[in-house]
Amino acid sequence: MATQDSTRPANSLRDSVRFWRQSLSSVLPSASDSTVGYLFLLPAIALFAVFLAFPIVYTLYLSFFRFQGVGGETLFWIDTGFFSYRLVSIANLQFVGLSNYAAMFTDSLFHQALFNTVFILLVQVPLMVGIALLFAVALDASFVKFRGVFRTVLALPVSANLVAYSTVFLLMMQDSGLVNYVLTGIGLDPIPWLTSEFWSRMTIVGAVTWRWTGYNMIILLAGLQNVPQQLYEAAEIDGANRIEKFRYVTVPQLRPVLLFVFVTSTIGTFKLFSEPVIINGGGAPLESTITIVQYIYQTAFIDFRLGYASALTYVLIGVVSLLSAAQLRLGGEGDA
Amino acid sequence: MREETRREAVWQFLTYSFIVLGAVVTLVPLYWIFVASTLSESEFLSSTSPRLVPGGEFFSNLQALQARENVQILGHVGQMTQYVDLGPVYFAYDFWHLWNPGAIENSIFIAVAYTLLSLVLCSMAGFAFAKYEFRFKKPMFYAILATLILPIQLLVIPLFLLMSQLNMTNTYWAIILPWAANPLGIFLMRQNMRSIPDALLESARMDGATEFQLYYKIALPTMKSSLAALAIILFLFQWNLFLFPLVILEQGKYTIPVAINQLVGAQRVYYDQIMVAATLSIVPIFVLFLFLQKQFVSGILAGSVKE
Repeated sequence: MATQDSTRPANSLRDSVRFWRQSLSSVLPSASDSTVGYLFLLPAIALFAVFLAFPIVYTLYLSFFRFQGVGGETLFWIDTGFFSYRLVSIANLQFVGLSNYAAMFTDSLFHQALFNTVFILLVQVPLMVGIALLFAVALDASFVKFRGVFRTVLALPVSANLVAYSTVFLLMMQDSGLVNYVLTGIGLDPIPWLTSEFWSRMTIVGAVTWRWTGYNMIILLAGLQNVPQQLYEAAEIDGANRIEKFRYVTVPQLRPVLLFVFVTSTIGTFKLFSEPVIINGGGAPLESTITIVQYIYQTAFIDFRLGYASALTYVLIGVVSLLSAAQLRLGGEGDA
Repeated sequence: MREETRREAVWQFLTYSFIVLGAVVTLVPLYWIFVASTLSESEFLSSTSPRLVPGGEFFSNLQALQARENVQILGHVGQMTQYVDLGPVYFAYDFWHLWNPGAIENSIFIAVAYTLLSLVLCSMAGFAFAKYEFRFKKPMFYAILATLILPIQLLVIPLFLLMSQLNMTNTYWAIILPWAANPLGIFLMRQNMRSIPDALLESARMDGATEFQLYYKIALPTMKSSLAALAIILFLFQWNLFLFPLVILEQGKYTIPVAINQLVGAQRVYYDQIMVAATLSIVPIFVLFLFLQKQFVSGILAGSVKE
């Protein structure tokens, strides 16, 4: 009778697994062996090198060239009969030195994009951080009931898809949309939210504020938990009223968190793309709300001026990185 | 004393009004898209006052949306071309054609696949950085740390060229792989995994656990809450990705953001259909948010303590 025998093909899988496990464990024998660390790291580092490190360097490289078409030129080629490999250039480029960067100084559309972005930023960031701070302080007040419910509701927009929520604003801000209806209802004139240059920027401001206030409120609320209660008690003994407590205890104590919120919001505004594309692609005069990222997108993928777009990207990356570095430095006590 | 309590009451009233006003302003757009998605376009445009009562046109709007040639928001049953007939039982084996996925399914599939892949990669890399010694550990870690301050969504130009060279344009790989080794994820995992006691790992080694078992039997289970928070960060990152999918994906593979962009940018804009699409893409994540609120909040907070 046939007995279950280890040489039977049914067990060959198990044998091969055992074989490979043994051979592998000879490759990674002990914790002291640094190969284990490398093996854990390998997949992430490989992807990081190809899809993040390479693009970071290559964007800089591209910014000194004029793009003339996708590549295909063979850079390196080896054929040993059974093994062949061909390294192909990924773009056909012409060296132009710094002229891409120089061109920015005379590019009026770029100036317009920069102006729009900075304008939106200067209005939107203080407005949103202010509202978020007020919500956080209000929700933190000891007498407020249903705190959890309110927090959930206010934080709800965090989960809204950026493009989907933009369409909501595109529709609400129509001339006969919801917002104008409310305005006329309370006796005000309707506002051309999508067709006037100024108001179309304000529409973006409103949309971004709606989407991100709850997000920042959560961060500020967490920051408030770390403010020592004794400080408030001491201020009370000194006869401080609510406003004074807010001014002299809450704000100074929250300074690092507020700074963080300011800087991340500023960075977020520099990266603004979905909202202007959706909201103003559908309405406003294009150039009054075009943002930097939108301009980069158009330059790169509609005009196919990839070299110039890379230079623009690097300027933007430079600005954003400086801001982030400043954020880490200014807010950094928690550096471990 | 009476003056004091009256002041207190006024203050409380003001605070409540502020919060309630905020809640209303937050909720109205959400409620309103839902209402708008249930009205026919003529009802929506012609009414002099916006309606706040849902109509009954949701499904006919959805039907019109689904009938669009160039954009598919929800999937639909495809042509079941092949059958295997086993007497009383028969089944179609052309599984890919059982359900033609639309933008919502694409988006969910991509975001989930990305989240899972990235969780594995980031936790493995974080484990290596936290618990092993090897050459070039510091330089590699600092290289990853340095990219934390870069807006990595903006590196689309070289990625576009790279993807064309690798023949990956119009594939889901193109929008999953570039950010799979998410620097923030690696960093967060490394920070959290440093708290795993070395003695625990050492004693498991004594008991004959392999290094990989240390990772998935000890490190991963103790990191559950950090993994959940990171999962939310990663999911939302991918879910909101717009610029690169817009560049790299073509008709039939659209994700939600690109599909909605197509609807908005079309020659003839159908507001009712856009609202249906917006409702369908916002509501599932809202529900997720309500159930996983704790993880969302800790995800936001985890992402905010970068330094």
